Amino acid sequence: MTPATHSLDPARLPEIAAGTDRSGTLNNVLAIAGIVIKEMYRRKDFYVLFVLTALITLLMGSVTFFNQENIVRYLKEICLFLIWAASLVITITTAARQIPAEREQRTLFPLLAKPVTRNQLVIGKFLGCWFASGISLLLFYLFFGAVAGAKEHEWPVLNYFQAAVLHWFMLGIVCALTMLGSVVFDAPSSTNTIMLIVSVGILLVGRHLNKVALKMEEPGQTIVYAIYFVLPHLELFDVRDLIVHNWGLIPWHIWAAGLAYAAVYSAIFLALACLMFRRKAIN
Amino acid sequence: MRAYLLSIFLLLMVGFSLATTLEPWFQSWAGSRAQSENVLQVALGDSRRMFARHFFTKADAYFHNGYYPSIYDSKEGEKQERSAVKGAHEHEGHSAEECEESYLGAPKDWIDRFSRHFFASQHTHLGESDCGHDCCKKSKEGKGHDETCEHKGHEAGHHHDQEDGHDHAEAAKAGQEREILPWLRLSAEMDPQRVESYVIAAFWLRSKLGKVDEAEQFLREGLRANPGDCEIQYALGVICYEDRKDIVRARNLLELSMNRWREQESRKPEPNILLLGQILNQLAKLEREQKNYPRALECYTLLKQISPNKEAVQNWIDEMKTNLPPSAVASPR
Repeated sequence: MTPATHSLDPARLPEIAAGTDRSGTLNNVLAIAGIVIKEMYRRKDFYVLFVLTALITLLMGSVTFFNQENIVRYLKEICLFLIWAASLVITITTAARQIPAEREQRTLFPLLAKPVTRNQLVIGKFLGCWFASGISLLLFYLFFGAVAGAKEHEWPVLNYFQAAVLHWFMLGIVCALTMLGSVVFDAPSSTNTIMLIVSVGILLVGRHLNKVALKMEEPGQTIVYAIYFVLPHLELFDVRDLIVHNWGLIPWHIWAAGLAYAAVYSAIFLALACLMFRRKAIN
Repeated sequence: MRAYLLSIFLLLMVGFSLATTLEPWFQSWAGSRAQSENVLQVALGDSRRMFARHFFTKADAYFHNGYYPSIYDSKEGEKQERSAVKGAHEHEGHSAEECEESYLGAPKDWIDRFSRHFFASQHTHLGESDCGHDCCKKSKEGKGHDETCEHKGHEAGHHHDQEDGHDHAEAAKAGQEREILPWLRLSAEMDPQRVESYVIAAFWLRSKLGKVDEAEQFLREGLRANPGDCEIQYALGVICYEDRKDIVRARNLLELSMNRWREQESRKPEPNILLLGQILNQLAKLEREQKNYPRALECYTLLKQISPNKEAVQNWIDEMKTNLPPSAVASPR
């Protein structure tokens, strides 16, 4: 006799039909994103990092060197470094815990039974994390602008706008990559660690991989050069030097191309995350 | 229970006995950091020298407005690029000479080309009022831009178009060299034996920022950390001569620095000849102004021996000899 129970292959489960019309999809995605943003308000991570950044910056700003007023570049550099570090930590830790937390707290089943599709859940979580990081980034850059303006008596608003938006789009790539990581790895702690190492690694050596490759023998040269072309160049979005040393604006079409580059990579990682989550057994 | 308590008591006794034995030895141990009064020395040990070098390099990077090679940008790679650069850049408003100054060389791929819009990729200096374009420098010298040159008009010192990527008016501000000072101060704090930190900071303080007192104070701080250092003594001598107009002290300091140079540098396999040249030149200038011509001639003669530009020094000597009364040349010092 055939047993009464069948093992369910999650990949063969039919997508729930509801929520597939355009407005329904958008509503579901935005509702999930809203929950993630509210979660960020409630958690202390952002507040702690913001206060720490502000304290260190103000402390460093109070130091006087050789009775010389208006020395500001070192302060801008320190403040921007802290903002970058804090934003990476906030984004990665927020994105890494979303899906594992839903699974651990067993809120994933009622959420998917709403009905919300798995794709909507992943996209909603991504948008929530990305918007949350954007809100935190806005506050960080407002603080930076206030400190730099107070010392320098200048407000290059457009330069700050370019830098902040590039930074935000870079966090979009990191966020999508972390969502993918959170689907692949089970524990948020391992996702956090791996994504921090990968992001910092790309930021530090991404720009120089081609030079390293050119000094290598074959087949190492081809392999490293291939990695150079494939990996997302997060360092492109790090325009801190231009801000610190008061360089001019990035040409707008180049800036827009940079944003498009980030959007493409975010979409690739998000699509991979959706694909893997659809195939993943959630029980 | 009693056995546990006795074991703990026994361990405490052993720990106490070991502490009484080891503590006197640790206090007299030559490698103990606790003997140092400097908090940084205690906390970082010899690694502070590494940080000092990093901060010193940071100051240099700031002087170049963030345009600075990384450890991946080697000189060999730069040379290899030059031949390719020559042809590729001439159509972009840069001459081959301008490109040769660049450690970046020609872009290696499209990502490299694209990424150069997102970091400081032009060679400029703090306080310079130009953009680094070779054509703009020539234009300032009166040679003018070509009609088709995309940088035409830059020499006037106006704001560039927003797409241009740099700002003349900003760079033209006076005293921007102040921005390197925090890093030099930190470098000196981390490694008080790094003489360059004191000398370079003092140079910018007195020459561009008009902070002679602060420069002298910083140099004296350096002299306390490096007693008898000839480079610091020379820098102090220059301050006394050029800023304080205290000729006697300046002469003493310059003579002292020359003697110290002979003691410290002449034994080295690669002595700092440039420093000796600077000392001799400054001393000769001072003595010439004070009409002590024989001593000035002596200094110029010594300078001629080490100078790469011997002809120019000989011209100064000849000029001095022709303009002097015969008694001045012949008389001993």
